[in-house]
Amino acid sequence: MQAAVGTAHVPHGHIHPPPDTFIKKYIFSQDHKVIAVQYFITSGLFFVLAGLLAEMMRAQLASANNTLLSPQTYNEAYSVHGSAMVWLVIIPILTGAFGNLIMPLQIGARDVAFPWLNMFSFWLFPPAGILLFGSFIWGAPEAGWTEYPPISLQQSFGTSMWCMAIFLIGVSSTITGLNFLVTIIKMRAPGMTWTRMPLFVWATAVTAFLSFIATANLSAALLGLLIERTFGVPFYDPAKGGSPVLWQHIFWFYSHPAVYIMILPAFGIVSEILPTFCRRPIFGYKAIAYSSVAIGLVSFAVWAHHMFTSGLAPWVQLPFMIMTMIVGIPTGVKIFSWVATLWGGNIRLTTPLYFVLGFLSTFTFGGITGIMLASVPADVHEHATYFVVAHLHYVLFGGSVFGIFAGLYYWWPKMTGRMLDETLGKIHFWLMFVSFNATFLPMHWIGLEGMPRRVSTYDPQYQDTNLFITISAFVLGASMLVFAYNAIKSTISGREAGQNPWGARTLEWMIPSPPPYYNFEDIPVVLSGPYDYGKPLPYREIKGDLSYMPLV
Amino acid sequence: MATHAITVDDATYQEVRDQRLLGFLFFLISDVIVFSSFIYGYIYLRSTVMAWPPPGIEPAALYMAGVNSIVLFGSGATMHYAMEFFKHGDKRKFVGFMIATIILGIGFLSGQAFEYFNLLHAGTTWPSSIYGASFFTLTGLHGFHVFIGVIYLITVLIQAQKGVYTQQRYFGLTAGALYWHFVDVIWVALFSLLYVWK
Amino acid sequence: MSMGHEEHKLDAGFWRATIVMGVISALGMWGVVIFPIQNYVPEAAGIAVQIDWLFKFMAFFSVPILVYVNGYMLYFTVRYRNRKGQPIDEPGSSIHDHKALEFWWTAIPSALMLVLGILSYLLIPTYYTAASAKTNSVTIEAIGHQFSWAFRYPGLRDPVPDELHLPINVPVTIDVTSTDVIHSFWVPAFRMKQDMIPGMVVPMTFTPTEIGKYEIVCTEFCGVGHSGMRDRFVYVQSQNDFDAWYAGEKTKQAHQPTEVTAAVLASGDAAAGQALFQSHCTTCHNAAPFDQRKVGPGLANLFNDPAHPELLSGKPPTPADVAEILEHGLTGSYGQMPNEQMNGISAKDIADLVAYLKTLK
Repeated sequence: MQAAVGTAHVPHGHIHPPPDTFIKKYIFSQDHKVIAVQYFITSGLFFVLAGLLAEMMRAQLASANNTLLSPQTYNEAYSVHGSAMVWLVIIPILTGAFGNLIMPLQIGARDVAFPWLNMFSFWLFPPAGILLFGSFIWGAPEAGWTEYPPISLQQSFGTSMWCMAIFLIGVSSTITGLNFLVTIIKMRAPGMTWTRMPLFVWATAVTAFLSFIATANLSAALLGLLIERTFGVPFYDPAKGGSPVLWQHIFWFYSHPAVYIMILPAFGIVSEILPTFCRRPIFGYKAIAYSSVAIGLVSFAVWAHHMFTSGLAPWVQLPFMIMTMIVGIPTGVKIFSWVATLWGGNIRLTTPLYFVLGFLSTFTFGGITGIMLASVPADVHEHATYFVVAHLHYVLFGGSVFGIFAGLYYWWPKMTGRMLDETLGKIHFWLMFVSFNATFLPMHWIGLEGMPRRVSTYDPQYQDTNLFITISAFVLGASMLVFAYNAIKSTISGREAGQNPWGARTLEWMIPSPPPYYNFEDIPVVLSGPYDYGKPLPYREIKGDLSYMPLV
Repeated sequence: MATHAITVDDATYQEVRDQRLLGFLFFLISDVIVFSSFIYGYIYLRSTVMAWPPPGIEPAALYMAGVNSIVLFGSGATMHYAMEFFKHGDKRKFVGFMIATIILGIGFLSGQAFEYFNLLHAGTTWPSSIYGASFFTLTGLHGFHVFIGVIYLITVLIQAQKGVYTQQRYFGLTAGALYWHFVDVIWVALFSLLYVWK
Repeated sequence: MSMGHEEHKLDAGFWRATIVMGVISALGMWGVVIFPIQNYVPEAAGIAVQIDWLFKFMAFFSVPILVYVNGYMLYFTVRYRNRKGQPIDEPGSSIHDHKALEFWWTAIPSALMLVLGILSYLLIPTYYTAASAKTNSVTIEAIGHQFSWAFRYPGLRDPVPDELHLPINVPVTIDVTSTDVIHSFWVPAFRMKQDMIPGMVVPMTFTPTEIGKYEIVCTEFCGVGHSGMRDRFVYVQSQNDFDAWYAGEKTKQAHQPTEVTAAVLASGDAAAGQALFQSHCTTCHNAAPFDQRKVGPGLANLFNDPAHPELLSGKPPTPADVAEILEHGLTGSYGQMPNEQMNGISAKDIADLVAYLKTLK
């Protein structure tokens, strides 16, 4: 099916001349690979900052009536921690960094559809981060990353800065989303039908769709909050006829799809790593691909499960409970398919695979507690307690962050041309896996016993558990240093990677490491799917003198 | 940007144009969703009170908005004709209808400004009630989009005069027309929801 | 270039591992069944027992899922790892899918979800009662403030701060609201929680079944004092003890001395009252029917309309009742009604206002 990609002519041959100045090459670059590195570095910085905020929080929580942080400072810390992790770390790394780095390579393209917009999208990101962290100067927001009114209407100017910061990053996310989706729809190499696409591309496509559809709602909610705070226009304040629950509806209508934005690319990364290190096809390719689409669509129908104690009528709660349970099914299908991929493999236990196994363990647990939260009566007890803090970290850290590290270890050689040290990688994994579980597993229990979330002091009955959690959290933070050391060591003196150190079959491994700026010398023709280990590689180059010049 | 449009071959231009069209459509969809969020907020808030407008609030007049709507929809028609004449190579008529569209767009904005002035004079301000909140935010957001549209159409006209578009390659013009029609469609929704719905 | 190793099959090792995991699962499931939740968190209401049962149901079926996912993951990783001497690039099994397996591993979780959904839905109406079902229960208002709770009992004029007394085995409906920001009213021992949202009153019904003292915890961020908004208690008491407490509160709240005597009330001037109403009251009240609410309810037909809630005595208010509220203030469902000092009005003003209110039909 030559016409499958909708291109009558095949891009080949003439390659756009490379950028010449330092600024065009490294600062205002339109090369998706450079932009990806920019996202990695910026998100990495915010990961460290947001992580430090978490360690400050845990230091305060080490004892029940601690006075290390004032209540106000603690509140600012947890609010910026959550906001930064969601909007300045997880979403940008998975979309802006991994999506940019890998997706165009995996579809055999020279770049994304709109390279200038790609660059613009990145450059909205540092200002957003500066606005968010700068809010500490004027009084950072204190009501969490969810900023429910009326309390968020009363807070100081930092909350308005938060609105502006998140609005900016939302615009960036929207642009990246539509850029990626157009790229995937229109720029796949000849012969790459949808069912021959790597699963990371499927994941990125659904994520991109969610990015520009869902984020628009957040923009509206934020604009409303900013307008109300600044001009007194009544949307959410009940004293003036507004409704606090209205904020919750619009906010969560975005924020629930947002959590799938934060996990689907990680699912895609897992789906790439497993076939490579099991040396066999992924089990259930179509099930995994279509379940991603199903998850993306159903994600719009579950938002009010965050609002089960907000006074919604039971007949309203019911469909949300049902849809939330339904959305667990395709996720379960993926998990079972991934485990089945291990069966009958020829498994090499490399660091990326370790992180994938860790992901499978922790994310499954997080998914289970998610179902426990889906049941409305059970949620009545669990909502807004440490049970939810535990659940969200099992899926966002156990899921997204483990997935991010799996992807980093996997694609580091492609991005840099050097290998990371395997021994250090495994030390990092074990430190992180054990300390992660030690930090977050006990939180389920104290939450069910009666510890609420977003508190800087607590009932002394939870003292011992909290101290244990704090110590584990510091080990968890320290484990990142192992990775940092590994990264620096690799950059300075890492073993040369070569084109395909893992022996994988997707297109990014068919070109040098790091790739030249034009990616592919000849755009390949794709003959079948990428995971058929044991069969010949399904790519054929085309010869011809048709030219392709990306318009910028 | 525009010079590349002329220098590449037909197949490449077509490919890039299709990508840009799709990207622009996705952008318009996300913009529709921003409006739909605010519309949801309006319907939600309106459902919490018995009477609309709330007691003591002077609402916007239907007749003024009706006239304004005719102006805006008229500009949609002139935009359509401008496109048609461009595609058929009639430069003079194209320019004429573009200018008409721009003037009608400015007319709509003036009508809005006049309506806002009347409302503010009658005490219905933006922060005064959930009526003001819904009305001014929705029409203001829409008016902002019309304003951007007018600027963009002026730019397109200037580009056309400079000979940037050919009869086969005129994506910038297509995007402008699409955007202008989108603004019209949003207005249909707002007019029905804010003025007609009693 | 072999076409995959068809010799990979479910062999004895696989089934041994499956059985071992089955045994571990069974132990875990049995552990869930016998685990005494009530030894750690009291089950002090009927609904708590039911919610704990539902939680155990979910945990029960979670155990085999967790054991088998983790178990197979570990077993396959060890069993199929690259051995010494095995070529590192030898392909593994070429099996892409297995329709029957995929069907069952989709169908069984779906069926479990369906059952869970039904069980959950059956439980909701038992605590989330519509107003009409309140007839067989006592209604107490719980009002959230920054940073305390106040409870209004039928027949008690003033709300009781920070203590909720309940008689054992009597169904109670808590009408939950707030006067400022969103709080939450959570009693872990009852497993009951309802967000306290300003502008909304949400009912929650349960029956306390164990005498004891149970903590109330605010679990929705409400400001700098949120962490401290705990350490207040529900006291579930015998009917006698509750009655004694209630009588004690009533005595404490006995009518305070008032300046607005009957004589002063009788001399009220409705016209002056109207002017006072415009200047002092219209921020929060409409001179309109009860449901035309601003911050407080509409005040038309105040003395005859049964919609006006039993603020003081379980019956529509008398002029003396209204005068008392104007003089001493009131904390109600929708906010703080300021007293005469805060409003800057005199006893005569109060009389005028009452006279005006009497004219509002």
